[in-house]
Amino acid sequence: MDEEYDVIFLGTGLKECILSGMMSVTGKKVLHMDRNKYYGAESASLTPLNEVYEKFSKGYGPPESMGKPKDWNVDLIPKFLMANGKLVKLLVGTGVTRYLEFKSVEGSYVYKKGGKIFKVPADEKEALATSLMGLFEKRRFRKFLMFVQEFDEANPKTHNGVNSSVTTSKDLYDKFGLDNNTTDFIGHSIALYLNDNYLTQPCGDFMSRIKLYSESLQRYGKSPYLYPLYGLGELPQGFARLSAIYGGTYMLARPDAEIVYGDDGRVFGVKAEGEVAKCKMVICDPSYAKDKCEKIGQVVRAICILNHPIQDTNKAQSGQIIIPQNQVNRKDDIYVCYVCDAHCVSSKGFFLAIVSTTVETDNPEQELLPGLQLLGQIEEKFVEVSDLYRPIDNGVSSQVFVTESYDATTHFETTCNDVVRIFEQATGQPFDCSKVKTQPEDD
Amino acid sequence: MAGRAMLLTYNFNVGGSTSVCSTMATGPPNYKIILCGEYGVGKSSIFRRFLNDTFTTDKCKKSTVGLDQHSRPFTVGGMEVKLTLWDTGGMERMSFIGSSYYRGAQAALLCYSIDNKDTFTILSQYILDIVMNAEGAKIFLCGNRSDCAGDGEEVTEADIENFIRECGDVLSGVYRISCRDNSGILEMFSDMAHVMHKDSLSRMTLRKEIIRPGETPELVHNKKKCC
Repeated sequence: MDEEYDVIFLGTGLKECILSGMMSVTGKKVLHMDRNKYYGAESASLTPLNEVYEKFSKGYGPPESMGKPKDWNVDLIPKFLMANGKLVKLLVGTGVTRYLEFKSVEGSYVYKKGGKIFKVPADEKEALATSLMGLFEKRRFRKFLMFVQEFDEANPKTHNGVNSSVTTSKDLYDKFGLDNNTTDFIGHSIALYLNDNYLTQPCGDFMSRIKLYSESLQRYGKSPYLYPLYGLGELPQGFARLSAIYGGTYMLARPDAEIVYGDDGRVFGVKAEGEVAKCKMVICDPSYAKDKCEKIGQVVRAICILNHPIQDTNKAQSGQIIIPQNQVNRKDDIYVCYVCDAHCVSSKGFFLAIVSTTVETDNPEQELLPGLQLLGQIEEKFVEVSDLYRPIDNGVSSQVFVTESYDATTHFETTCNDVVRIFEQATGQPFDCSKVKTQPEDD
Repeated sequence: MAGRAMLLTYNFNVGGSTSVCSTMATGPPNYKIILCGEYGVGKSSIFRRFLNDTFTTDKCKKSTVGLDQHSRPFTVGGMEVKLTLWDTGGMERMSFIGSSYYRGAQAALLCYSIDNKDTFTILSQYILDIVMNAEGAKIFLCGNRSDCAGDGEEVTEADIENFIRECGDVLSGVYRISCRDNSGILEMFSDMAHVMHKDSLSRMTLRKEIIRPGETPELVHNKKKCC
């Protein structure tokens, strides 16, 4: 331990592992510690199944009917990868994709008032057949989508009076005369907004989200989402491996790891097991630097074990159901993400569904009800309310850079934005994925 | 612009539907082998021989930096198969290497140093890890530094025989090699290729629908020329 490091990472969550990998590849001397004996922190997939029962203090273990406990890999945070999103670009750019295997998520669904769910059309045939909207509305919807696809910032001919940094998303909807059901569907199940705040914002971000969905859908079909075999916990491990291959040192099971500051308030090092490792900077998750964070809200998540697929999904083996906030009179959407043994996360015949939303009331579990009701019979349920933290400063003066908690979004775009933010603040360099590209010397 | 096929433009003209070609990458069967064993027994030396047939005594061990995975073709009964060897990246030095390393491995090459008995006696622990994390993987035993035999407390033939007996039928092959002298290495991998190929033919694992971004071919869309 009596060495000096360029960066010490605390917590092996996905964000910390991506940054650790990138720092190691660019020649920084890295030490990476975690209080737990496993990789992944909040973004781990717990295994065997008994670990999940223990974490939620059930007082009993899984029944034998649930099969071999080690066949289970249970995510704590539900997210899918957009097939053309930033995380996939990072995986390919760094070569970490070589360590992992993915399968498409089979379907994406949207909930409409009255309790019914509809498949988000994945191709023209499905769009023609959908009962989500009427025939004339389908035409307006199509016109709208074609406009967004054609829109090119650099080519004013495609703008048709829309200024992406002035025109609001609502104005854009109105331009095409779309009704509230359709705008709900577009804003929440295609642009994937968590709430309706986007309506009054300039439509640039809105349009790029629709394009991301569309480009992701085109890559492997079925849905725009990918999910790794064996669970999301494989992702931080992949980036940790990248870091190790480039000289990063990993130390797990250091429960007492804490940041040590100098008299000037700048980081001095990290103390664990009575020894101090010196470093120039620390990058950590909020749980290692609570004094440098503020609480900005809460997310409630219910991890549910089912022994059947979800109704009205044509027995899809994996999928996402979005319940737009307007449809259930809320401010924030409710999400259901589910996977099964086809992605090697459960024993045969079982499904893992996570229902989640941003907390709005004093009774968070009750808020999940519209989602839970879609699941049918639930064999076991683990409910957790998590505080969301964000750093109170940019970390430059103390050289302690803190990542934000994983938010309620069901994909990794905001996760990657946070990684870019930390990388740029910590190194003073613009983030350039092509610079982290690994280049095997021989071969 | 009317006929441009982009999925989300939902071209309602039925005749202009998108054609989807879903050919998955095919090729010779590819078998994943992971290196296991104590830090310093020469796993990276084996990897380097496998990679480009070199040997180094570089003490700082930086010579495999950035290199952790390599594939080589072997011929088994007139058919080409590929072996992909994975190195640990030294993660085992301070902590658990992570379950991800073991995923989908068809074989584990359990390495020890013939001139260091401690690296041998600890192997039962490694077997447990392999059985736990890489179900169904064939386990092969590999003693490195056969060139050093004769000086000091070495692992004897009797030790190995005892070990094989204790392990029951867990081991699929036992080898002695020297990375320094380049002896026994190619023969070892060739033998492993035979054992693994035979095993896979007998239980034909189907791995459909696997996607690896950047490697898996993407859907081919019927892109009509516009205008």
